[in-house]
Amino acid sequence: MAAFTAREQKKFMSTKSSSPKILFFDAVFFTYTAALLCYVAFLFVSSIGLVSGDYDKDFAIRYMSTFSLICLGVFLFMLAALKILSSTTSVSTVGAFLFSNPIRKLELAQTSFLKSFWGLHLLVTLILTFFVSLRVTQFSIYELTDPDGLGGAIRLFSDLANPNFDLLPTAIIEVFETIFIAFLGTAVAIPIAFLLSFVCAKNIMTNPVAFAIYVTLRTLLNVMRSVEPLIWAIIFTVWVGVGPFAGMLALLIHSIASLTKQYSEIVEGVSDGPIEGIRSTGASTVQTVWFAIVPQVVLPYIAFTIYRWDINVRMATVIGLVGGGGIGTLLIKYQGQAMWREVGCIILVIAIVVWVMDTASAYIREALK
Amino acid sequence: MSSPILSIKNLSKTYSNGVRALNNVSFDVEPGEFLVIIGLSGSGKSTLLRCMNRLHDPSAGEIWFQNRRIDQVKGSEIRHVRKEIAMIFQHFNLIPRHSVLSNVLMGRLGSTNTLKSIFGLFTKEDRETALRYLGLVGIREKAGIRADQLSGGQQQRVAIARALSQNPKVLLADEPVASLDPATCHTVMDYLSKVNKELGISIVCNLHFLSLVRQYATRVIALKGGEIVYQGSPKEIDEAWFGRIYGEGAKEVHVN
Repeated sequence: MAAFTAREQKKFMSTKSSSPKILFFDAVFFTYTAALLCYVAFLFVSSIGLVSGDYDKDFAIRYMSTFSLICLGVFLFMLAALKILSSTTSVSTVGAFLFSNPIRKLELAQTSFLKSFWGLHLLVTLILTFFVSLRVTQFSIYELTDPDGLGGAIRLFSDLANPNFDLLPTAIIEVFETIFIAFLGTAVAIPIAFLLSFVCAKNIMTNPVAFAIYVTLRTLLNVMRSVEPLIWAIIFTVWVGVGPFAGMLALLIHSIASLTKQYSEIVEGVSDGPIEGIRSTGASTVQTVWFAIVPQVVLPYIAFTIYRWDINVRMATVIGLVGGGGIGTLLIKYQGQAMWREVGCIILVIAIVVWVMDTASAYIREALK
Repeated sequence: MSSPILSIKNLSKTYSNGVRALNNVSFDVEPGEFLVIIGLSGSGKSTLLRCMNRLHDPSAGEIWFQNRRIDQVKGSEIRHVRKEIAMIFQHFNLIPRHSVLSNVLMGRLGSTNTLKSIFGLFTKEDRETALRYLGLVGIREKAGIRADQLSGGQQQRVAIARALSQNPKVLLADEPVASLDPATCHTVMDYLSKVNKELGISIVCNLHFLSLVRQYATRVIALKGGEIVYQGSPKEIDEAWFGRIYGEGAKEVHVN
């Protein structure tokens, strides 16, 4: 406790031991544990035959509103109970351990977590969550070792390992299509992301109007980036029809968002000296960007762009599965007919191309450093 | 005596974080003088220079340049002011990846159309001017070398050449020798002195070393806590003044 001055100690002491944040977090956490306990108890009761019938997903969906109300009730009860408890006793809850002031945290860290309330609570909740996850994912050693299924898997693997090379010319043509889809998606994204990166850099967009534009654009790009290229591909297959064009557009959208973010972070990291130097000569804003910032960012830009192309080749393959053209579309066609020897050939071609691209891009990026 | 080239009247600067860097500062810069500003780090020297060429916006007061008020001008007029009042910096602020000549040509940006400059279309006269000023600071033969391959002193000379190619009336120097070794200090100061005497450009220079001040300055202003505490001849700064400017107990360091 010597790490704190008397003044800091006084400050921490004066703040109430149970802040609203701790209270809220604990109430949520206790409600979650209670719900898990109920579910496990219910599974136990039904497994020994005390209740019968199918009470799984459909049951939960049908009575969703009832369950939600019960949870809310439990939550409010926990909130009230914790509020009363915290004013009388000092129970070391998980919330208290996470969000307390530093002095209280030090006190809580003195005891081993297995001997403290928060530690046991966390442990019990994790174990319960683990068992519920097993149940929800329908985890089954029996299915994994079932002779029928295992036989099928062995047949599939032996077919994959024995590819039909008659398909090789087709696969090569299709993989080139994939590479070009990835290339165009990246290439068209470069100039757009280049221009956007300056508008999305905090150190350039300093005045209030510019900052508003910065925030708007950043939000928009974050949304664009959080939608997976696979989803974009589905959207564009509806828009422009199944084929490589849809795949290219999907990659383009995702690349613009990703490259802009990476580029603008480079711009935010440039040193201010040259900027000040160029501004002092009476240069305009465009001249300052071009002469003071661009020389500092051009090499990292190239490295990130090559990496993006490399990622896009891999993504273009996946996008092909939903109709984005290229080798992915070929793969899904033969997979649908369970022609595993042909699929083996396609997977081999994909593996080689991805490996080559990966290695080449790593070498080039290393050389650019 | 002719009218001052730069005139600072009641200048104050308060940063957005509440720091008051300059408080009611008034002085004149006469044509052709070598004015040195001294003071502790944080006394407002750098802020003062950056207000004079409008890299920073002053909070209150007036700045007059060649009988024109410049503390409120905006846009292209600011750029015109910066062109006329050139500046060099403690860390040189060159573009490391560009050649020396290209760095000096950047002094012409203020007089070159944006589109032309982006494609590197500087005029023949611009190139000749750049080479001439590189010659003036004695590194003409380094024109094709990348700027980051030069020593600190050479980089500062490139910065001087860049500032000169703006054809300025005034040259501001923000601690131009603070990151150089003592021997190089004198070379750079000698070139500044040469610029001052041969081209008649007024110089306003922030310095730390009093020995350099006595050798080069024609007039001295001392700042303390954002206010002027001394104004006069460098020869009159004695022990008592030194203590008042730098705080009691400070010891003078000599650069030989």
